Amino acid sequence: MTQESSTRIAIRPGRPATADPALFRVLVEAAAMLFVALFLLVPLVAVFTEALRKGVPVYLAAISDPEARSAIYLTLLTAAIAVPLNVAFGLAASWAIANFEFRGKNTLTTLIDLPVAVSPVISGLVFVLLLGSRTPLGGWLADHGLRIIFAEPGIILATIFVTFPLAARELIPVMQAAGTSEEEAAVMLGANGWQTFFRVTIPKVKLGVLYGMVLCNARAMGEFGAVSVVSGHIRGYTNTMPLYVEILYNDYRFAAAFAIASLLTILALATLALKSWLERRGAIRIPQTQADETERVAA
Amino acid sequence: MSIRLSGIRKHYGDFVALGGVDLEIADGELIALLGPSGSGKTTLLRVIAGLEKPDAGIVTVNGADNSTRSFRDREIGFVFQHYALFRHMTVFENVAFGLRVRPRRSRPAEREIASRVHELLKLVQLDFLADRYPSQLSGGQRQRVALARTLAVEPKVLLLDEPFGALDAKVRRELRQWLRRLHEQIRVTSVFVTHDQDEALELGNRVVVMNGGRIEQVGTPDQVYHHPANAFVHHFLGSVNLFHGRVEKGKLYIGDTEMEMDATHEHAHGDDRQGDNREAVLAVRPHMLEILLTPNGGGEFPATVLNVNPAGPQVKVELVTAWGDPVQVEMGHERFRILSLAPGKSVFIRPKDEKLFVYQI
Repeated sequence: MTQESSTRIAIRPGRPATADPALFRVLVEAAAMLFVALFLLVPLVAVFTEALRKGVPVYLAAISDPEARSAIYLTLLTAAIAVPLNVAFGLAASWAIANFEFRGKNTLTTLIDLPVAVSPVISGLVFVLLLGSRTPLGGWLADHGLRIIFAEPGIILATIFVTFPLAARELIPVMQAAGTSEEEAAVMLGANGWQTFFRVTIPKVKLGVLYGMVLCNARAMGEFGAVSVVSGHIRGYTNTMPLYVEILYNDYRFAAAFAIASLLTILALATLALKSWLERRGAIRIPQTQADETERVAA
Repeated sequence: MSIRLSGIRKHYGDFVALGGVDLEIADGELIALLGPSGSGKTTLLRVIAGLEKPDAGIVTVNGADNSTRSFRDREIGFVFQHYALFRHMTVFENVAFGLRVRPRRSRPAEREIASRVHELLKLVQLDFLADRYPSQLSGGQRQRVALARTLAVEPKVLLLDEPFGALDAKVRRELRQWLRRLHEQIRVTSVFVTHDQDEALELGNRVVVMNGGRIEQVGTPDQVYHHPANAFVHHFLGSVNLFHGRVEKGKLYIGDTEMEMDATHEHAHGDDRQGDNREAVLAVRPHMLEILLTPNGGGEFPATVLNVNPAGPQVKVELVTAWGDPVQVEMGHERFRILSLAPGKSVFIRPKDEKLFVYQI
């Protein structure tokens, strides 16, 4: 008996059980920082130094060149078409998957991911094989004055294809988590279908929509492989910014190549900044203590 | 408005959620749908609302088939179990929603909407929270906002799904009393779903006890509690001790104990009253059993005290019969002191009431 009662468990004040030793923490943090610096920061700095190596006038001349302007225009046009279509599809697919049971639902969820799973080059090739001028469909379209491959429509189509799943993948979990009870409440309060969709559903998944748009936009502007296959690299006509960078580089026009690359980088950084700003806005939650406080006030 | 349900059936695959439900609800009633989970009570509520389409059967409101009307014309308010408040809208906008989505010609002016919303928020005592978002409210406050939002469209029927299910015991009791006063004020025909028998008995004018997709009994709280239609209702409305035995020549045998079943005994299945040598169940509530130290006049069975819990207004005593069935008895503190019960003590138990609830099985 006395033996048993003398067993003691020492509980010392100090760090919680899950806290790691200081040395370990410093090492892990340093390793993460080193990776970021080496693989992200250095290339980023390199792009801008290379772009400005021959001075600002050369930089400005490079980005105001007619061919450059055409590439910038085509890139922005492609993104402007791909992003809204992507969001529209994402909303429809996620709404259907989250709220209905239907035949082919599993196939749909699996197929949505296909464009991310296959190589972009193959995605581009599929369009060439399907719509190229030697194929029946492409030939028929060409006869009616509609050129798809080696023209702007092909670039836009290929971009839509590779960005296809981005908004949907973002929205499906959001829709599933949100459930349908708010929509039911709206219907019971007399709202019609449109009112329910625009006043309840869209605001409810707003952050998912915005995040999907950001992802889709980044990919649409940066896509190389699929677009490269269908573009035909016709200067001043079917070059997007990434394709144009490659052409300049192969022509040994490094300053111009890096100037366009820096523009693309700025667009990417702006997209990232927008994304993290949206995330931070979405993450703001009222602490529980405040809700408790209001309860006490009410009582 | 009066509601009439006839022959409502609803299946989900092989699962029968509602197996033919008939019910009439009079204008201004406050009805409790009571049952265990999976008994079909929420499905029935959703069928009345029109959120669920029954496989068969008709819902008529004031004599008209409801399925042909639009939701706006049905004038049914529904308060969801988890409130379903619009999380991106303030409390004010939540309550105003039903008014804002009206077609232009019947939509009130902005000033009218504002005054109506504030009036409702005062009614639920939350006017000071009009600018908050649902995530900033406590559970009880959300519940009241949900109610105000529903009342804003002036429904003629109010349906509430587990209205107090997610709240703690104290808030539940307060809101229960508050809802009863509210119903007395506005007198709108109301149906609420609950699995809590205290809530159903305290709040409902009538209680509908459901089990397995069917209605077991409909009656006033007094009727269903004191005159349960069957063993299920008896069991579900408060705790009960069940003693298995058999009926022979008008007498009930539990173990070796013989009990008279004279005319005052109540039978749930009266048609089998004279049935001989049948298995039966005697149901007695814990406070309707008495404990004796010595046998006295017959009809009692021996038992051993297992545990005693004197905390609370009644002393709860756990016993076990000679043949091994557990028994719960509740008694006043005075009686408990006289008996001086302790675990291990051998005693006798006997139903106090002359009316015995015997269910044939």
